[in-house]
Amino acid sequence: MNTETGLSCPSCGTLLHPGDRFCESCGARVDEPAHSTAGGTRVELDLTTAAVVSDQGLVHRRNEDSFHLEVARGGVGVVVCDGISSSSAGNVAAQDAARAAGSVLARALADPGADAGAALLEAIRAANDAVQRVEWTTRTRRVDPSCTLVSALYRAGEIVIGWVGDSRAYWLDAREPRQLTVDDSFAEEGIAKGLLTPEQAAKSPFLHSITHWVGPDAPERPPRLAELKPDRPGRLVLCTDGLWNYAPSAGQLGALLDALPPGAAPAAVARSLTDIAIDRGGHDNITVAVLDVQGAVAP
Amino acid sequence: MSPFTTEVYQNEYLPLGGTEVNAIVTVTSDGAGGPSVRAGAAEVVVVDTSGSMGIPHANIKAARKATKVAIDCIRDGVQFAVIAGTDHARMVYPSREQLAPASARTRDEAKREADRLHAGGGTAIGKWLTLAGELFAAAPDRIRHALLLTDGEDEHETPEELDRVLATLEGRFQCDCRGVGTNWRVSELRRIASTLLGTVDIIPEPEDMAADFRAVMQAAMGKATGDVSLRLWTPQGARVAFVRQVAPTIEELTDRRVAAGPLAADYPTSTWGSESRDYHICIDVPARQVGEEMLAGRVTLMEGDEPRGQALIRAVWTEDRQLSTHINREVAHYTGQAELAQCIQDGLEARKEGDLGTATFKLGRAVQLAAHSGNDGTMKLLQAVVEIDDPATGTVRLKREVAAVDEMSLDTRSTKTVRVGPAGT
Repeated sequence: MNTETGLSCPSCGTLLHPGDRFCESCGARVDEPAHSTAGGTRVELDLTTAAVVSDQGLVHRRNEDSFHLEVARGGVGVVVCDGISSSSAGNVAAQDAARAAGSVLARALADPGADAGAALLEAIRAANDAVQRVEWTTRTRRVDPSCTLVSALYRAGEIVIGWVGDSRAYWLDAREPRQLTVDDSFAEEGIAKGLLTPEQAAKSPFLHSITHWVGPDAPERPPRLAELKPDRPGRLVLCTDGLWNYAPSAGQLGALLDALPPGAAPAAVARSLTDIAIDRGGHDNITVAVLDVQGAVAP
Repeated sequence: MSPFTTEVYQNEYLPLGGTEVNAIVTVTSDGAGGPSVRAGAAEVVVVDTSGSMGIPHANIKAARKATKVAIDCIRDGVQFAVIAGTDHARMVYPSREQLAPASARTRDEAKREADRLHAGGGTAIGKWLTLAGELFAAAPDRIRHALLLTDGEDEHETPEELDRVLATLEGRFQCDCRGVGTNWRVSELRRIASTLLGTVDIIPEPEDMAADFRAVMQAAMGKATGDVSLRLWTPQGARVAFVRQVAPTIEELTDRRVAAGPLAADYPTSTWGSESRDYHICIDVPARQVGEEMLAGRVTLMEGDEPRGQALIRAVWTEDRQLSTHINREVAHYTGQAELAQCIQDGLEARKEGDLGTATFKLGRAVQLAAHSGNDGTMKLLQAVVEIDDPATGTVRLKREVAAVDEMSLDTRSTKTVRVGPAGT
């Protein structure tokens, strides 16, 4: 005879029995780990010169994005990951990848002699190793746990970006906003090979089909890096597609900031961009990291 | 250990707003059986001895021989009987209306009686089945199987009378039906076999009868698990669109449902030996949000009240169209096999009614589906009915002269399916 657990189905309220994986009345999955469903729908981290906002959005049941932010010795290390929702345990993959990559960047910040590019490659390698160890929640022929990753190391007036997948980095300043990353996606590869115009790519059902990711079955090619030495103040924005879907080009994203007061703090910028994505539908998890960059200053 | 193992083939991904969940559930029985195997089996052989069985005389001679072969296949200890059918039903062995335990002695006695079978009288299949049902009533705990042979139409009772009999006998025993020659009606025998969860086939020539009987009896004697049903649980608000056996043959089970509690229903699958069958289950579920997962159905093999194996059918909503638009290979394959069977039956029906346009179109589509799925058996049968110009496009011409035996073979065997081929073919 089953005894009731005292817990009820979050979807329909029916009392659950011990060991239930699915609600016996409405079929809703009920055996998710508590931490992924409990708690608020938004996480904010404000470290003054840099801030991250991560929001579940309006459609997804859990936040499969994750991030890591370090500020030390005047430098900033940041990682943003988007768990691939068709994979099993995409949320865990994103969390573990962000944590592993973040701790490599933290070590690099503590060592002024460390090469930034090498540190980013090592961070992504560490993320890959971490995701290898993620346990699957289901065994039924789903994709290996995996996630995207975009990371940045900023110090001494120099920014280096490393990424796999379609989470992006943008440089936004008053004069010339631009996208620093090129998506590892079929759409971008189609454009690069001249097979698709950017307009066709934007409408393609394969827009979000990525060609590189973090995970056990990731393609064996190195992640891409980009460097930037800004000569004027601006903001570095790292985000998942939950934001850029609503403002794909750097120009569109930059225009969204024009509505804010000129000196808005990174946390205010991140919050504002997240709110805009939610207003426009919030179809995916949204994670936005914003860094204030002062531009070239005399050493 | 559970005598049943299950595998589920499905694409569990649905697009935003999607509600239709399709799955192929493969159920394999190791043939070891549950408790019922200890209870043993009961077997009744029902042989048509109407007047037409004497014309040609070869028919009744072959029937005698085939009946003796069937009796020889009955294992010691099985409760059995032989019935001769005309416009009424007559006990051949034992002489009283009861089952006899099989032994060397009783089999010999039964075979001596079978040798005295003679043709004469009409055809009232419902009466034969009714007597079989009464005999089986004495063996409620055994696996109950009948083999029915006829050569003609059920002339001496109305279709309504037969329907009434079938309704009372449903679930009481399993009956494999065989039609010899070409004077019987496929739809009639299919209706009997379907209701009584058996197979139907044609025996074109009397001399093939003994071999066919041996095959049917060996399969029947190999059945180790009786009265198994497929219990399907679906969540609140869901609707079962259909439940269909799709291999080795197509059998609609949707209307055979018997409620088992507020959210579950049982579908009968009769007896199992060492074998594997595939079921196509289609469920309409209430849509959920992207990223959510739900249990759309749970299949439990029930032997009486005992669960003997289980399979889960899931649904996961995604925005990734590459995932949600992909049709599972097994689901696509069996959707094609079901259409193939339907096209053949529709095509032959249209041909009988003289609607040659529809017949050509339906049989052409059948050729295309048979070619695409590698159903060579059905393809061969189709070739006897149509000239095939291009199997890939289904371009065919109806043959002017078609032997009745070819048409009936195609009709009876149209529900035989092939399993999905290896990947990449």
